[in-house]
Amino acid sequence: MKDKNNATTSLLKRILLNCSAQAKQYGSCVSARVPEVEKDMCLKEFVVLKNCMQNVVWLVHISYSEGRSTWFDLSGVITDNLKKVNLHKMTGELSSSALSCSSGSNALSHVYIQYPPLRCNVPGSRSLFYDDSNKLILSLTPTQVFSWKIATYNPYAAPSSDRISEGPVLSIRYSLDLKLLAIQRSSQEIQIWNKDTGDTFSQKCRSESESILGFFWTDCPTCEIVFVKTRSVTCTNLLPGTLTRIEALFKAICDCSGLDMYTYGTESRNLQLVQTKKLSISWYIYTHESRLVLLASGMQCKSFTGFQLSSAGIIRLPKFEMVMAKPEANSNPILAAEDVHIITVYGRIYCLQFDKVAMLLRSYRFYRDAVVQQGSLPAYSDRIAVSVVDNVLLVHQAEAKVVIVYDIYADSQVPISAPLPLCLRGYSRANVAASHTSTKTSEASESKNLSDTEETTYGDQWQFLVPDLVLDVSNGSLWKISMDLEASSGISASSSEVQLILEFLQRRKLDAEKAKQLSLAIVRTIILERKPVPMVARAMDVLLAAYSQAIKTGSYYKRSITEEISPSNAPNAAVGETITGIDVSRSINQEPESVTRNDSSKRSIMDGSIEKTETGDLLEPGLLGGEDLPTGHSQTLGPTNNQLNSSASQRNQSQVTSSAATSPADFYNYVFSPTVEEMMGDGSYLTAIIVDFLRSCSLEKLKVYPNTYVLLVQILARDERYAELGLFIINKIIEPSKEVALQLLDSGRQNQQIRKLGQDILRQLSLHHDYILLLVQDGYYLEALRYARKNKVTTVRPSLFLEAAYVSKDPQHLAAVLRFFSDFIPGFKSSPDHNTYHRFVAELNS
Amino acid sequence: MGLTSESDAKEAMKLCMFDLRRGQTEGQELDKILFFYPADLPITNQLSVIGLSEGLITFTRIFSPDAPCEVIEAEKHCHVFYEVEADIWMVMVVEKENPESIWRVDALRSVLKEIHSLFVMFHGYIRALVDKEPSGGLVRSHLYYFIMDFLSDFSIGKKLQLPNFRDSLKEQGTLQMLTVGREAAIEVQSLVTLLESCVGNKQCYSMTMFQDLLVSTNLSPIDTLNLFTYAVLRLTPIALFRGASAWSSLRKTDTACSTYAGALQVTSISAIDQYYNSHDPPSLRRHNYPLVRPLQHSKWSKGKDGFLTTDIWGTEVNSLLPMCPTIWLHLTEEKMFLLAYQHRGLTVILLVPVSSVSGDQGISMLKQQIIENASLKMLKVEEKLSRGWGGENAYHVSGYRYLLVDGDRYVSRASPPGKVTTLTKESLVALSKLREEVDLEKARAKWDNSGREKDIEICIRAKNNSWLIARLVRGKELYMVLEKGSETLLFAADATEKFSERYCNGAFSLD
Repeated sequence: MKDKNNATTSLLKRILLNCSAQAKQYGSCVSARVPEVEKDMCLKEFVVLKNCMQNVVWLVHISYSEGRSTWFDLSGVITDNLKKVNLHKMTGELSSSALSCSSGSNALSHVYIQYPPLRCNVPGSRSLFYDDSNKLILSLTPTQVFSWKIATYNPYAAPSSDRISEGPVLSIRYSLDLKLLAIQRSSQEIQIWNKDTGDTFSQKCRSESESILGFFWTDCPTCEIVFVKTRSVTCTNLLPGTLTRIEALFKAICDCSGLDMYTYGTESRNLQLVQTKKLSISWYIYTHESRLVLLASGMQCKSFTGFQLSSAGIIRLPKFEMVMAKPEANSNPILAAEDVHIITVYGRIYCLQFDKVAMLLRSYRFYRDAVVQQGSLPAYSDRIAVSVVDNVLLVHQAEAKVVIVYDIYADSQVPISAPLPLCLRGYSRANVAASHTSTKTSEASESKNLSDTEETTYGDQWQFLVPDLVLDVSNGSLWKISMDLEASSGISASSSEVQLILEFLQRRKLDAEKAKQLSLAIVRTIILERKPVPMVARAMDVLLAAYSQAIKTGSYYKRSITEEISPSNAPNAAVGETITGIDVSRSINQEPESVTRNDSSKRSIMDGSIEKTETGDLLEPGLLGGEDLPTGHSQTLGPTNNQLNSSASQRNQSQVTSSAATSPADFYNYVFSPTVEEMMGDGSYLTAIIVDFLRSCSLEKLKVYPNTYVLLVQILARDERYAELGLFIINKIIEPSKEVALQLLDSGRQNQQIRKLGQDILRQLSLHHDYILLLVQDGYYLEALRYARKNKVTTVRPSLFLEAAYVSKDPQHLAAVLRFFSDFIPGFKSSPDHNTYHRFVAELNS
Repeated sequence: MGLTSESDAKEAMKLCMFDLRRGQTEGQELDKILFFYPADLPITNQLSVIGLSEGLITFTRIFSPDAPCEVIEAEKHCHVFYEVEADIWMVMVVEKENPESIWRVDALRSVLKEIHSLFVMFHGYIRALVDKEPSGGLVRSHLYYFIMDFLSDFSIGKKLQLPNFRDSLKEQGTLQMLTVGREAAIEVQSLVTLLESCVGNKQCYSMTMFQDLLVSTNLSPIDTLNLFTYAVLRLTPIALFRGASAWSSLRKTDTACSTYAGALQVTSISAIDQYYNSHDPPSLRRHNYPLVRPLQHSKWSKGKDGFLTTDIWGTEVNSLLPMCPTIWLHLTEEKMFLLAYQHRGLTVILLVPVSSVSGDQGISMLKQQIIENASLKMLKVEEKLSRGWGGENAYHVSGYRYLLVDGDRYVSRASPPGKVTTLTKESLVALSKLREEVDLEKARAKWDNSGREKDIEICIRAKNNSWLIARLVRGKELYMVLEKGSETLLFAADATEKFSERYCNGAFSLD
């Protein structure tokens, strides 16, 4: 803990050039009180230092102290001094809707948390940890660690527990196969406990000067656990430094800071050092989702080195610098770990850096061989948190208490909709209003009792976990952030760009069925509203292109996944893409991801290893879609998954439509056939729409659902546009099929030519039986007979021909038909038909 | 010259139109005549032609009130009758003395039909014009200029060249269509809807053509046919080129030895214009009607904006902008503005109801809108069509000389003219005769049992050993000439079968 603090203080070193005196005062204040670190403890000194640094905001992460874990948020102190941004005004306007939202009504909000949360507090719990590799929430009591699996979020999940020995815990993580538990006991020591054997083993630093910043488990083939170390610097070293002294210091840091990679020997039961990467490290961030560790260094902590430690191996990213605005010429703000977020969207890895001076959230995209700055998003709050829900980026403006939603698929910096508050759903209490007053005041008076205000959104106790969780550390409740697609698309549907909304919806994987229904509903609506044809056409283009893409990648088909996969271990080798390469691996990489993130209500989970209790709650019948499941398309996941089988912790047997793609059949069922009934009078508009639909289909080389053609024939025939109908058939705009032929015959009762077209289709499709029946019906029995003989059709009863010939009152023809059957059908002469019609011939002749 | 004042040269063709309801009293017979060609024929001769015709009509009506008289075949003449509207008749008299004068009556009658339907498209029904001005001056002047302009297209050199046996692998009064792939067809269709959306909510019609082939339309079949005929005559790129080159060679005044079609027309144009000046019947000179001559040559040109312009319909009173052309729809008798946009081979004709557009300002706004919204799409469509277009001989099938007619849809397709000319005269004459027979058979079948289509199959070995084949199946007709065939009938049947399977979706395969 002391070392950790020191490490943080070493950040301070970088601004000593500017504010050395003030920094020294503050540093000595803090170091004097270590390890009893508390909030606001060196406030006076800090304010002085802060003034010196010209509103530079930084956060010092101090490790968990007794009783509760804290993010020691210094910025909270200086909030008042910071410039007020526009959004603060907006907050006022939104507060009313925030109220209604929290009261549980279906308010205008696209992002919500569902009540109840997962309660992670156990009696005697000291602190909460998040193990993002295994998606576990860990709650520590002095002798036990309780873990909740949150890969499939279930608020009623029961924890499992493991015994641990007593002692300080700085950090705790299970290995990926959950067999080992690593606990950081101090900045010098990490303890590893083998669950199976019960062995404990401690790994200590080689020298006193080393200090472990943290560690993480990895599925990298060469190593299992990685320690991030830095040179420990004590505050006493921080004399009003000269430059040479600092340089010497850095040299020392470089000597022993860096990454240590170990494997765990099952026989030797200890860690073996595999590889060391020597780097200067001030602090680091790691997310298991991206397998990316970012190491900050430099005076302002804005020089970064990154490693991706995935199952594909270790990739070293090129060193890059983040951009930071300077408040003044001589002051250099320091970037803190809390201001940098690694996010994974659409299988791409981005890094978001909060520049508090410029009030911008700068984004960088990682490629295998480059890091490219992508632009920036505005920030309206001094506290920014970031979540990713279903590949949508949520930027929480914590002070303004609103969320801004971005879909950075096409590198667009435009939010999907206006900032709206985070909504708490399913929660109702009599004293809503009362609690809201406390909500408002809680910000000002931070000592407010939080136990009563668990619906306090964006309280200081909120800790945002990767990717979409919020942990309220004060009362141990874990919330899952969800998106309301209906609301977000509803809000944006009012805007003119239907196309963009549909693209957005089509990219949704989490609630794909909903997204699909919404997409179709939007198209239906714009057709019913008789929006211009080009606009509808564009909308359909979007949906069909997405469908065709989904077909190609195979994500459209419902999959029956029986392989064991570990959701958190889903390989995510997004950094593997090069800047020049096409992102082909994306969809494949994402598949397991999308499976794991799917709504628990849509899947049945059978938990194989740890928590048998969970299955009872969650076992539900699989999702039933209306689509045909082509055989041979049951998805087999790639070899990368297979190699993870040993470490798998979950067995998924799920049937998932992981794509919001809308098939041409869906278009028929949900768009065309309902609208046709409502728009009887507007045949030409509907024709135009369907033609454009056909154009989209042919562009994407999709097969059109035959009933769509039937519908088109009906519309054209109803409006008596026979010439056009004929043209459509002849140019094969309406592709021939039996359904179309029968509809043409039906519509052709009023128009002989249309009927003929239907007949032609029957003939061309070699539907001989129907064709002959039709000819006989129309009285062309001789032609029918000829045709029957040529194509060897024997399924039509002779009596039909005979009857038709008899009706024509032509004894010669009747005799000819009779003769035909006598000659070509053995035994016909003795049949009753023969006798009957033989008599008729005689009658007609007489 | 046949058309000019050299009256000693005997006119080989006479064409007249008369109204049986007029001039009923003795001495008023002249009043019957609405049009007579040649106009300089002595009145007595004119009257005798009409008198004969009227007499025959009246006589045959006794036996067949619905279809009185169709044709008189005399030793030296052939009279072709056509009742264009109730009691208004057109009669064409052709001479037989020439070796080239082997006609098929139906082909001649289709010329008469074409004259009438085009006239109606531009000027409305003749009866209506007659009723509008009972003196007949209005209808006479309209008919005069219209038919003279029309006939000028048939003039080759000094003579009018009516469709004869050499055209027996052609069907007058049918559409020629471009065969397009599904993708292109859909593209065209979406262009059509785009154009319609430019017009707004009003019902409008469009016709899309590529070169002089029809691609798509939403007009009724009759209107399609009329507009198509007019477009092929005056609007398509080929027609425009013909007009332009005629104009240029007119300036150069070298027409003497040119065999080029454009040059040939120059003489006829100038001839007709001279003719108008010197031979206008006195009755026409007295009136000064506002005349629209839609068939006048070299009047259409392509503007900078891609739209075709003409001053045929006169110019705006206040400005020098030409008035937008108008036509009448056959079925609804609605007056429509005609807008034609051309991009290379692609011609898109848009018909917009006159009632829905406010004058020329509305038209120019509409044009602007089309250019803004649809020109890109038209570019794309043109590209797509020209990529799939096989050129002049696209529909040539080697070894076959054929004519395919779909009577239900007024569509025909034939071997390219350049290929047909390789046939010997004997074959063509024989085919002409064969078609004559088939025409008769068809007419008979029509009277015998209405609604029932008769299948006909004829295979003839001509004197020059060529096979002549005619097949009629369910309203579709196929005529073929096979000159290099072998001896047996089986060969002819096989060849037909093969053709039918490969190019007609098996429509003519009987057994």
